[in-house]
Amino acid sequence: MTGLSTDLRREMEIRRYPLAVYVLVPLASLVLQAWLPRVLGRFAYFDLPLLVVLYFSLVRRHPIHGTLLGATLGILQDALTQGVIGIHGIANTVCGFLAASIGIRFVVENALLRVILNFLFTLLAGLLVVFVSSGLLGLQVHWRVLTQVLVAAGNALIGLVLFPLLDRLQVKD
Amino acid sequence: MESFFSRHRNLIVLLAALLAQIIGLAVQVRRPTRSSATTAQQRALEMAPRDRGGVMLLRLWAADLVTPPERLFHAVDQGAVGFWLGYLDLVHLREQNARMQQTIDRLRLEQAMMQEDVRQAVRLQALLHFQQSYPQKTVAAQVIGTSGNLQSHLLFLDKGSADGLRTDMAVITADGIVGKVRDVFPHTAQVLMINDGTSGAGVVLEKTRIRGILRGNADGQTEVVGVLADSRIQPGEKVLTAGGDQIFPRGLPVGTVERVVRDPDRSAFIDIILKPAAELDRLDEVLVLTDLQLELSPAIESDLKQSEAEQGQAAAAELAREQARRKAAEEMAERLPGLNGPAVGAVAGVAATSTATGAANGAPAATPPPAPKPIPALHPDRFSPGYGAGSGSASPAPETGSAPSNAPAQKPQNRRLP
Repeated sequence: MTGLSTDLRREMEIRRYPLAVYVLVPLASLVLQAWLPRVLGRFAYFDLPLLVVLYFSLVRRHPIHGTLLGATLGILQDALTQGVIGIHGIANTVCGFLAASIGIRFVVENALLRVILNFLFTLLAGLLVVFVSSGLLGLQVHWRVLTQVLVAAGNALIGLVLFPLLDRLQVKD
Repeated sequence: MESFFSRHRNLIVLLAALLAQIIGLAVQVRRPTRSSATTAQQRALEMAPRDRGGVMLLRLWAADLVTPPERLFHAVDQGAVGFWLGYLDLVHLREQNARMQQTIDRLRLEQAMMQEDVRQAVRLQALLHFQQSYPQKTVAAQVIGTSGNLQSHLLFLDKGSADGLRTDMAVITADGIVGKVRDVFPHTAQVLMINDGTSGAGVVLEKTRIRGILRGNADGQTEVVGVLADSRIQPGEKVLTAGGDQIFPRGLPVGTVERVVRDPDRSAFIDIILKPAAELDRLDEVLVLTDLQLELSPAIESDLKQSEAEQGQAAAAELAREQARRKAAEEMAERLPGLNGPAVGAVAGVAATSTATGAANGAPAATPPPAPKPIPALHPDRFSPGYGAGSGSASPAPETGSAPSNAPAQKPQNRRLP
């Protein structure tokens, strides 16, 4: 992970995508997150909306964009459950902001670094969900370390394939 | 001031986003009031919170956003699977078709027999004044998606309020219960499955009749809670819905006992881990119970009438056979009018037995045959029955050839068959 100044980092590369990508990719992540468990059953160890938030935050390197995208996708994720709306919203908001902040300061094009970041951010999101659920709301939440590690590993592996595919959708200046 | 906002713009936006969501959380969460529920069913109903208007609107938007693509995915998936199964994967289709036809014939017979039992049960319940309703009116729906969250066990159906679905309707399969309708949108409905931690239903163990509350645990398993430790509960016992919660009718299969674990919070209680009867992980089509009234379909009515007709024919044939046996016995009695001895008594006994059997079916009972008497001897001696009755002596009679004074004077009659 190479350290760079903020201005230099932005000058080096600013990735832009068509508007349709900003709309369809998050929507597809929500749809697939809701549909794939029907096919995979209990082995659906991934969090595609979080993965999309992490990708756009890392490559756009804009904390406000990361924050808002994380909040929007997290709230929509919550809206598809029977639970309180905002739990995943807060988790994804924080993850989006931190990922964008890291993207500003460091070069994260390396595949191995992306795998590690996806793994760690997914774990962080899980921790935040538990913190908000049990700490702020007083809900009874059972923290399953193995399950969360499997979700993080799943996200890391999917990101390994998904991120290069999404890289191809960027607009070349 | 302007430089402060521009310098910390990112952080301010982050804090604003977090603050807005925390306020949203605070608005949604209501502190539960002290429970006044007395029964397990009432407590089960209280476990499912309700949304306010704004939150409901947000859920509606999310469902409207996600379910149309999900429908498309589902249709493509079904089309691909149908094309493969219907046009490509046709190996051994004829043999399979023949086997399935045999299975259908057998199942039709079994169904007719079972429906007879159902009708009998309903009649008995009516006699005992049980207010038991039986589910029949259902709406078939396809599962088009899930919540996509490991902590939330929800399903999305392709039917909604336009198809007659309402909240709190039971969702079942042929194998067992699945859950209940939680939210209903115009063309979509959200089903809370029984293995979700916030679900609840009253259940009863089939043999021991122990009642408890069904819910999901953190591992996504279904468990029965609120049960006092009882050694009679054994793995394999079936668990049924208890009814009374106005959602699930009584007697629907829930699952079987897999194992019993101690309740971590209350030492006197146990948690019963179940193996769900329905394949909760592999659901494609479900039935939503839209009405709890019993209404037999015309096909079932036809099967029942056929079953009743077959039973009537069998009873008539048995009655005809019985009448033929009685007639044969009467003819034999007419042919042997003078038979009173034991040899005839044996024949008459057979006839009497036949008529007694006929009496059990409503025919008049015959007179029981007289007790057999010993045959008088041609040459009575002192060992002959009744020889010493008058003298009171037990000593043997002398073999003189003369008849004793108290010997039977009359000749034995009917000692030989004519």
